[in-house]
Amino acid sequence: MQKNLFRLTLLMAVFALILTACGQAPAAQTGGESAQAEKLKACFIYVGPIGDIGWTNAHDVGRRYVDEKYDWLETAYAESVPESDSERFIDRFVVEEKCKVVFTTSFGFMDATLAAAQKYPDNFFFHVSGYKRAPNMGTLMADFYQLYYLNGLMAGALTKSGKVGYVAAHPIPELIRHINAFTRGVREVNPNATVEVNWIFAWYDPAKAREAAEALIAKGVDVLAFTEDTATVVQVAEEYTAKGQPVYSFGHYSPMAQFGPKSLVSGQLVDWGVLYEDILTKIHLGIYTTKNLENVDYWGLLSGYPNLGGRAAVELGGKFGEPINPVFEADLKARKVNDPVLGEISVYDLVFKRIEQMKDPAVLFDPFTGPINDQDGNLKVKAGQRLSYFEVTTINWFVEGVIGKANP
Amino acid sequence: MNLPSLRIEKRLSSPRWLPAASLTVGLLLALVTVAVIFATLGVDPLTAFQRIFRGGFGSFYGLQETVTKSIPLMLAGVGLTLAFRGRMYNIGAEGQFMIGAIFATGIVRLFPTWPGFLLLPAMFVGGFLGGALWASIPALLKTRFRVDETLTSLMLVYVAYEAVKFLVYGPWRGSDTRGFPITDEFPAAAHIPILPGTRVHYVTLLLAIAAAILVYLLLTRTKLGYEIRVTGENPEAARYAGMDYRKVALLVMLISGGLAGLAGMGEVAGIHFRLRPPEALSPGYGFTAIIVAWLARLNPLAAMLTAFLLGGLLVGGDAIQIALNLPAATVQIFNGVILLFVIASELFNQYRLRLER
Repeated sequence: MQKNLFRLTLLMAVFALILTACGQAPAAQTGGESAQAEKLKACFIYVGPIGDIGWTNAHDVGRRYVDEKYDWLETAYAESVPESDSERFIDRFVVEEKCKVVFTTSFGFMDATLAAAQKYPDNFFFHVSGYKRAPNMGTLMADFYQLYYLNGLMAGALTKSGKVGYVAAHPIPELIRHINAFTRGVREVNPNATVEVNWIFAWYDPAKAREAAEALIAKGVDVLAFTEDTATVVQVAEEYTAKGQPVYSFGHYSPMAQFGPKSLVSGQLVDWGVLYEDILTKIHLGIYTTKNLENVDYWGLLSGYPNLGGRAAVELGGKFGEPINPVFEADLKARKVNDPVLGEISVYDLVFKRIEQMKDPAVLFDPFTGPINDQDGNLKVKAGQRLSYFEVTTINWFVEGVIGKANP
Repeated sequence: MNLPSLRIEKRLSSPRWLPAASLTVGLLLALVTVAVIFATLGVDPLTAFQRIFRGGFGSFYGLQETVTKSIPLMLAGVGLTLAFRGRMYNIGAEGQFMIGAIFATGIVRLFPTWPGFLLLPAMFVGGFLGGALWASIPALLKTRFRVDETLTSLMLVYVAYEAVKFLVYGPWRGSDTRGFPITDEFPAAAHIPILPGTRVHYVTLLLAIAAAILVYLLLTRTKLGYEIRVTGENPEAARYAGMDYRKVALLVMLISGGLAGLAGMGEVAGIHFRLRPPEALSPGYGFTAIIVAWLARLNPLAAMLTAFLLGGLLVGGDAIQIALNLPAATVQIFNGVILLFVIASELFNQYRLRLER
């Protein structure tokens, strides 16, 4: 018995060696390929499959956009990379695939990206959604808090029960910020309305998202927003609306209008291509070097990028080019609010006025301007003050009007 | 008209060359199947195979990555060979891995100022105890109440996942992580030393090799090992011979759980240097370890080799995704097909097909 096992393992080892050897032979013949014109090679490491309808798909749309647009650029990607393996993927991209620029698109890749930036000082690294930087490592994000605020304005106008629901993936600062901004919008139009949060502790779990949405509806919620990577909430809202119990929703990340023609009001859309284009052209032109990225941090708000004609990486709407579903136009125009500065104005006009203010390079309006109370009624931001960038990105408390725990 | 029919019948005796032959045929068939899949995706199968094996074994870089990846597989896999030998179907090594990681992290939090020569051994002991503790639950349920350990050990994996999530989202969430669900980085004393220029945390590797040898000696050279083997092969006979089934069952579960816990400790202190959400800590090492153990035909020494081969397969699989821009699912299909065929070929060691008219 023992002898057999020994032979068996020996055999397996031989097998591996033979296959490796077979593999080596043709490798020598392909060596001549790399003599082509020097192209900038940018490689992308994704946390999910490119076929999801959210985060990773949006990044890949951006990658394909820059890849097709510029001849001097070539790209490659790896999808569904586990956080525990990200260091290896980065190494391979740099060492074997000769990637000059590496984009890592998940918060969990932060430590590995920084380690690689230190290991390969002549390569460029960009990490999405993190906060650690180095001379050759910048950070970028396309943040939605302004859009969530705008969606909140509409949600506040459309709720009849005064109860708005929010299906949320994980309790991290990004979501707390978005829920807060959304609630600020809701309460600006409808000061007594509440936003109830239901955490599902998953980025991708259609079953849990459905359960959470239906539980909120059972509590009397008639408008739903969400942050997770499926279109489930939109579908649930559409089903209830079709049954004669109107529930409205806001899309997230990808165009989701087709899932809720009668019930999807608006949403948040991203165009990562804008940021990737800005970064890669600056590397190509020599504006970015491996020595000056320490303070390069894209926050991707509505104010946009001057050298790209003011294009922003984020856009309001359930699909590109349509900020508000026409089905809801009349209702939103009929609902008036009294703004201390703008006077009496319809919610519809207010949304576009706010976009204009936030698009201004000076950012004339910010939803996180005091006075802001926390959930328990304590004054957290004094009148006239704005939350700083650091405070907004690390926020761990809910504003007044949110029902639920920020640290469940 | 009588059509010929296939019958499967048990072999009365099997020739010595058979295991090797069935494995070879299984591997060849698997490669052919995978080649067809690659070809339909428009990729030259030979190029793909070449990249996989070069990626996993064909360069220093690939080799050291394969070794790194094989460390947790080896520890957990060696433990499982022992459990399976004793006929305890511990499917929950992944959960024991998680609890080991939690215990190791807990020790760092309790004694953050200890020097490395005290802290690291304490963490290893903690990791082992954590995994053993988690495995003791299905073991006790089995020996006291005859609850099937396959189910309980598997279900406890998900409980362990939730425990890690609770800690990193809750009380252990770091103070300098800007609210993200990870613990603070361990102090330098709690980092397992790494071979320069690699990611191989060699202390854990040495422990894994030692564990394989010790488990082998336990099984083949001790009275207890004899009891484990007899119990595994024929529990009734073991009971009749006066062997303590409960003792054997509990012991093999504690050791296999403890080794899986060590694997978890090795990952947090050798790779991540902090506790992270479960899906980030392990891409399913505890489950892959089951395959490691079966492929090794429950021999702990062979498990070292199968862990290495499987690690290489995983590392090489990643390489083709990068080199050939294949979807990640292709890699999983590749690994899945190989394992399916290899495990299916096992059947022919004990059974044979016969054509009957």
